[in-house]
Amino acid sequence: MIIVFKPTVDGVLLACGSLADHPGSTLMVAKDGRQLKEKLRFSGIEDQIVRVGFDPSTNTSRLLKNVFTNTWTRISPLDPGPLKYIDLVLRHGDADPEDLVRLLWSCNGDVNAMYSKKTRISLRYYNYMREVTRSWQRLCMFSRPSFTNGLLFAEVDSPHEISDIFCRWLARKNPDVPVAVVTDGTAWIGNGEFVGLEHFTTISAAFVENLQGSADDEGIDELWDVYYDSQMIEKRRNRGLAKKMQPLGSSTLSKMARRDRYKVERGISSCTLDGFI
Amino acid sequence: MSVSVEKLTNGHHRTLSERMQFLSSGTKYDSCNQSAVCHAFGPDGRCIQLYKTLLTNYCAGECAYCPNRCERDVPRVSLTPEEITKITWSFYRKNAIEGLFLSSGIIGDAEITSQKQLEVVQLLRQQGFTGYIHVRMMPGTPKYILEQIADLANKFGVNAETTSSINYSEICPNFDYKNDVLQRLKWTRDLIREKRREYRGTGHIVGANDTQFVVGAVDEPDRDIIRTVNKFMDKYALRRPYFMSFDPIPDTPLENGSPSPKWREQRLYQASFLLKDYGLMHKDLEDVYNDSGNLMNTDPKLELANMHPERFPVDINSASMDELLLVPGIGPVSANRIIHSRPIGSEEELARMGAVVSRASPFIDLNGVRQTNLASFTGGYS
Repeated sequence: MIIVFKPTVDGVLLACGSLADHPGSTLMVAKDGRQLKEKLRFSGIEDQIVRVGFDPSTNTSRLLKNVFTNTWTRISPLDPGPLKYIDLVLRHGDADPEDLVRLLWSCNGDVNAMYSKKTRISLRYYNYMREVTRSWQRLCMFSRPSFTNGLLFAEVDSPHEISDIFCRWLARKNPDVPVAVVTDGTAWIGNGEFVGLEHFTTISAAFVENLQGSADDEGIDELWDVYYDSQMIEKRRNRGLAKKMQPLGSSTLSKMARRDRYKVERGISSCTLDGFI
Repeated sequence: MSVSVEKLTNGHHRTLSERMQFLSSGTKYDSCNQSAVCHAFGPDGRCIQLYKTLLTNYCAGECAYCPNRCERDVPRVSLTPEEITKITWSFYRKNAIEGLFLSSGIIGDAEITSQKQLEVVQLLRQQGFTGYIHVRMMPGTPKYILEQIADLANKFGVNAETTSSINYSEICPNFDYKNDVLQRLKWTRDLIREKRREYRGTGHIVGANDTQFVVGAVDEPDRDIIRTVNKFMDKYALRRPYFMSFDPIPDTPLENGSPSPKWREQRLYQASFLLKDYGLMHKDLEDVYNDSGNLMNTDPKLELANMHPERFPVDINSASMDELLLVPGIGPVSANRIIHSRPIGSEEELARMGAVVSRASPFIDLNGVRQTNLASFTGGYS
């Protein structure tokens, strides 16, 4: 038997339930009906097929209870709930949804086993969850959107699918302005009601580019440099810690972050042209 | 951004960015954390998440350690509430900060100063600012202003600076420890409780009571500081203390004092975490101080474990949470993970759960196996 499922939280949980009913089954992922047909035609498989997760969402919490019999206990304050865990893992660029289903199935109904990191596979997927969370958090930390024509605009380039959650975060933080987060030709729009769209939606990136004009935030970078430099305590310089807290990768997220990181590396010069004059 | 200038009494004009530099620099020793999103890290590794500024560095106070004390000859500048809100908005929209941390020198008296701080907070909220606001109140702030601040700010509080009235009068002669500080800590605790009830379920952040100690300005041992922290936790629901190492400032009464070593601040933080996260009391730490009552430059938890060999080894697969928490290298998260994942078969599994095995192994027993140490080898203890 082949269990074909959609790589969504519902799909993964339903596939896990089906795998429990038919333990020897083969797992297959398809994003939609067309991809499913192509995959089946390509593989030439003619076994019995069970399709799960393609219908409109059912009660996800109930699905979780079907897969896990015990209740979840938060082990680390950084741990998200089981549904969020699955959602985050599915956003990881390297995650294999079939492996994820097998991991959940191997937990034998114990939801806490997902978080225990006891086996290699549970450690790997826990780390995937943390990597996605970290990438998203780094965007929240170091991305510097531009504010143009009353629109808050940011571009995201990440191996993980995190643009939508970043957009939601930015929209929550700035509830009084529309927010656009662009990735690969698609723009996620938050607080869309301010520009005649739905509250949260996606549109073509070209449409957002039309809305853009000259930046309203000129001069902020210089002012930020003054502020950043004022917080330096020379006697406490700790390059190792600062580099650990702001890793090199995060400095590519914005010009401001790049300049801050440069100062972390090289320190802040106390010698200025004014000093010579 | 337009450049505005302030004319000073001596005839010099200072631009907005110059004034901003002076006033932000005046808060660089102030610790404040929202514990959510850091937007930058200074070259010293500290998180920058709020726009920290003084309203003014004019000050009527004579605090012996402070660079802004009234008798010092330093450039005195101010920012208007409009300027502070404008800078805050600009940084906030740019996603460079989560909000504002506002402190001030004393203009006239505590009431006038707090009133000015309140004006800034009111202006920001009137403009629709939903970010985080932390107001460092002045000692002696009247209760009615504290109540208004509590309605608008996410966090507010007063610095204790030291552990007793005698020490306080030595470094802050203009204020009374019992009335101007402890009474305000009590009011803050009550207001926080009230606001937490009011905002429950709304997503509005109400920060816990916090305070800051200047470490090394007066001759008080670490034992007194930790005891005071513990007392404040019980009495004023203090969540976490902040420590600021004393650094002598020229032209102040303490200019000839010795700077407090950087590690002292770190060890005090470690000891305070043992109170906050490990459920220990100050009396449990009595053994970790040296003869003069100060912490040594070692991890207090490791020191505590070494002083009590009779508590170890701890059996990883049967120990209680409290027993696991005493093991160096095992923190609250990894202890929780161990308890939920028993039986633990190997050190590799333990490491995956976040325990620092190299630190923990002399103190644990894993499936009947424990690391041999010199004391057990020579029959010192079993």
